[in-house]
Amino acid sequence: MSTQPTALKGSVKERAQLALNNDFLRKAVRFTTERLRSGKLKAAEEHGNWDEWRERGRQIRLHTIAHLDYYLGEFANNARENGVHVHFADTAQDAINIAIKIAAAKNAKSAVKSKSMVTEEIHLNHELQAIDCEAIETDLGEYIIQLANETPSHIIIPAIHKNRFQIAELLSKDAGEELPPETSVLAGYVRKKLREKFLQADIGVTGCNFAIAETGSMVLFENEGNARMVSTVPKTQITFMGMERIIPSWTDLEVMATLLPRSATGQKLTVYMSGITGPKRTTDGDGPEEMHIIILDNGRSLQLGDPEFQELLNCIRCGACLNACPVYRHIGGHAYGGTYSGPIGAVLTPALKKNVAEWDDIANASSLCGACYEACPVKIPLHDMLVSLRRRKVEAGRDDPMERMGMKGFGGVMGNAKVYHNALKLGKIGQKVLVRDGGIRAKIGPLKGWNAYRVAPSISKKLFRERYNSLKTELGGTTKLDPAIAARLEQWRSKQDGGASH
Amino acid sequence: MSNNNDQWLKELDEQAKAKQEQFLNGIASKLKRSRVTEKPQRPFRGAPDFWGQFQLNVDEKLDMFKRNFEAAGGYVLRAATLQEASSIIVEKANELQAKYILRQDVAELERLGLEQALSSISVRSWNDDEQEDWKARAAEADIGVVLADYAVAYTGSLTLLSSKSKGRSVSLLPTLLVAIIPKSSVVTKLGEVLSTFDEMGRENLPAGIHFVSGPSRSADIENDLTIGVHGPGIVYAVIVDDIES
Amino acid sequence: MVWRMKVSLFITCLNDVVYPKVGETMMRLLAKYGIVLEFPNVQTCCGQPAYNSGYWQEAKAAAKTIITAFADSDFVVTPSGSCAHMVHNYVDLFKDEPEWQEKAKQLQGKIFEFTQFLVNVLGVTDLGARFPHKVTYHPSCHGTRLLGVKNEPMELLRNVRDLEFVPLPFAEDCCGFGGTFAVKMSDISGAMVTEKVDHVIETEAEVLVGLDMGCMMNIAGHLRYRDKPVRVMHLIELLYEGVTASNEHATNGA
Repeated sequence: MSTQPTALKGSVKERAQLALNNDFLRKAVRFTTERLRSGKLKAAEEHGNWDEWRERGRQIRLHTIAHLDYYLGEFANNARENGVHVHFADTAQDAINIAIKIAAAKNAKSAVKSKSMVTEEIHLNHELQAIDCEAIETDLGEYIIQLANETPSHIIIPAIHKNRFQIAELLSKDAGEELPPETSVLAGYVRKKLREKFLQADIGVTGCNFAIAETGSMVLFENEGNARMVSTVPKTQITFMGMERIIPSWTDLEVMATLLPRSATGQKLTVYMSGITGPKRTTDGDGPEEMHIIILDNGRSLQLGDPEFQELLNCIRCGACLNACPVYRHIGGHAYGGTYSGPIGAVLTPALKKNVAEWDDIANASSLCGACYEACPVKIPLHDMLVSLRRRKVEAGRDDPMERMGMKGFGGVMGNAKVYHNALKLGKIGQKVLVRDGGIRAKIGPLKGWNAYRVAPSISKKLFRERYNSLKTELGGTTKLDPAIAARLEQWRSKQDGGASH
Repeated sequence: MSNNNDQWLKELDEQAKAKQEQFLNGIASKLKRSRVTEKPQRPFRGAPDFWGQFQLNVDEKLDMFKRNFEAAGGYVLRAATLQEASSIIVEKANELQAKYILRQDVAELERLGLEQALSSISVRSWNDDEQEDWKARAAEADIGVVLADYAVAYTGSLTLLSSKSKGRSVSLLPTLLVAIIPKSSVVTKLGEVLSTFDEMGRENLPAGIHFVSGPSRSADIENDLTIGVHGPGIVYAVIVDDIES
Repeated sequence: MVWRMKVSLFITCLNDVVYPKVGETMMRLLAKYGIVLEFPNVQTCCGQPAYNSGYWQEAKAAAKTIITAFADSDFVVTPSGSCAHMVHNYVDLFKDEPEWQEKAKQLQGKIFEFTQFLVNVLGVTDLGARFPHKVTYHPSCHGTRLLGVKNEPMELLRNVRDLEFVPLPFAEDCCGFGGTFAVKMSDISGAMVTEKVDHVIETEAEVLVGLDMGCMMNIAGHLRYRDKPVRVMHLIELLYEGVTASNEHATNGA
């Protein structure tokens, strides 16, 4: 429990290979993502007018981010008025330093945590363990992952890649006795074990789904009840908040509360939605006596003012893109190599890390099918952002030299129809060696990957452009324009011109 | 001791305030403009306009609430009076063989008369004694009884606002939760409750506002649903027609 | 009446080189309505392979041939939703070259994927086709999600007589082509096309029909690799065959 989770090695391609060979993982990921995906579609349809709600959600987020300095300032000031100690952290290390200072000042021996991707991002647990403060994950999936010394592989279902036998083994070891691989028994054990931890913990750590600027409140969405535990029982609370996780008012929360649970799991609302406004009141019998909120940047502000990436900050971390993504379905979360996986991870990880070279290749793990964009409740054009990341890699000169050569060739050939045609004439000759029965099966050079799974087609004996003239002659003589058709075309054209033509 | 703590916290706060300016200035400069200090205009707020037209009458609301709450695994019962509600609780307490009930310290719940009806069971009232460790007491309780501030039909949720007499733990730590809901507190949409918080204003908000939409659950193990992970595994919503009786 | 409209064909490099029959069939089909497509032969490729890989300078070289080719056309029709959508990206692609950007905007307003042209512009949904086979349909991602072509192909298929339509399970899932993705991330792509073909086989359809030969080439390639005799066609080919067969059927019957 006390070591850093095992670091992920290799490239996306290598990790993807591992995942593709893991039958259980693929089956598990497919089963769960299909369930979540169909749940979301059903819930969205039942609710109705989904696209209007998405657009409203998008507008609220766009507006808030465009005025982030105002809303964050309003939030911080209001939270302070409520008695919260608000802190600002530029980097992960800054956030860690503040958290450690607080924990040390409290002489904290244990901290109970509810699910928070931000705390994963900054590797909080490791740092707390280093000052002898036990950091205990309390979300069932996160607890399991923590025992396995792994990182979560899905934003909403962290242990999606583990089967009940693996989980029973982990929990049995933890319990010091044999536990059967039955969900209710395993969950029952964790409930009992964590009860004690909740009641004894010095610090409660939470993330923040949405901060409400106008009242300095923070909102948490969950199904288990552990986030409520963590923010009700311990004497000190530390909340970590990504600087973009904010909306103006409670009224706006209705939109987010409509979009988030449906997109994440297909629920109308999570079992618990909690709005916390400051530490306990003097006469309250529970709630934290001292409350801290650490607002974290860690690369988020880099997206501001960048027209291609600012919308990335709209994200409400619902995981719908993961469930829609055909690539994620086949390779799972760990193949992406960062805290965040799936389509959002493929963009967020490079974007937060200033696109450093080591994260370049995740942007390639996508066929640009656009399913993520279609699934996103706030309409983030992730598919466009992936292309932008690829372009930036090329502009920075970090592309593969072979690919660059190939693309330069592409530009040269496609820039001129004569050159293009001549190249194909050569190609027709060159392929003769490889073509059998109209197809190419050779697994050489660029065909290696393709032909590992397919039979490639061949260049046609007569290209379309080589057939055109005779086709035109053949058809030109015999066709008579249908007047109805002509009328439709005229109508359409004048509609386009706005009636200004001819 | 606490003086040192206060002093240290004060220093931390001063540092944070300075940092805040830097942070926010950084945002403004990245957005290539000067700081926005006036509340920005925006043409809309909250849900799409057509949502305002969605309204249900009392029976429809109760019906929808029941369907949604039960679909999530909760139970919904009707009681004409508090006395009827009290009988329901007594029945559940006996079924569960409960040893200890904890209720919020509010007048309506006092009128349930649980203390009198269940003489062999310990019935206590939240925070009525400042010396007690109430969180521990809540953890020991078999049943928690709360008075809902609102119920939302469209999402199948109870709304609970915390206060001195209404501890958050009462609806969280016991094994079984009973929520008494005055029929008149049931609204159609989530936004109807949320907008009241905007209207109340920052200073009047309680520390904890909790929407509860059924029993605690998780599907983290092979996507297999399990009930009662950390919060109460059994939840009863008892809708009382006339709370004044 | 003087015919003043220029309706041109944007063949796409894939159809030009590998599937010329698709272009030929489109010409024959539209000729039945009196439209003989023009083919401005300075066109090469929409530039998508370079664009998607981040090589925008090279993409521009290709894009310029397309913009130039269709500058004086009134309508541009293409048998690929993916390529039609790529043309919509030109406005962004040329944001640093205002003259070309203006031309790109013009082109954006007059380019149509084939079923869009047939159904929305010409108002044709029933070609009188007859195709007595079991058919399933794969809705290509770019055309469906990004270009918004959803109802048009279904309307056309609905009106084909004697066609037994069987829905493809998880139809909207990507087939794994993604252009260069299939080459760069070949194993993931392989896994995706394997799943897609599993679903096609599940339907027991004789014919798989689609709107984009990129996807069709990908799926057909794997079907062939697994020796499955499912026939893979572009919708244009299916409709043309259906119209021709219908004529024969009519003449035979008469």
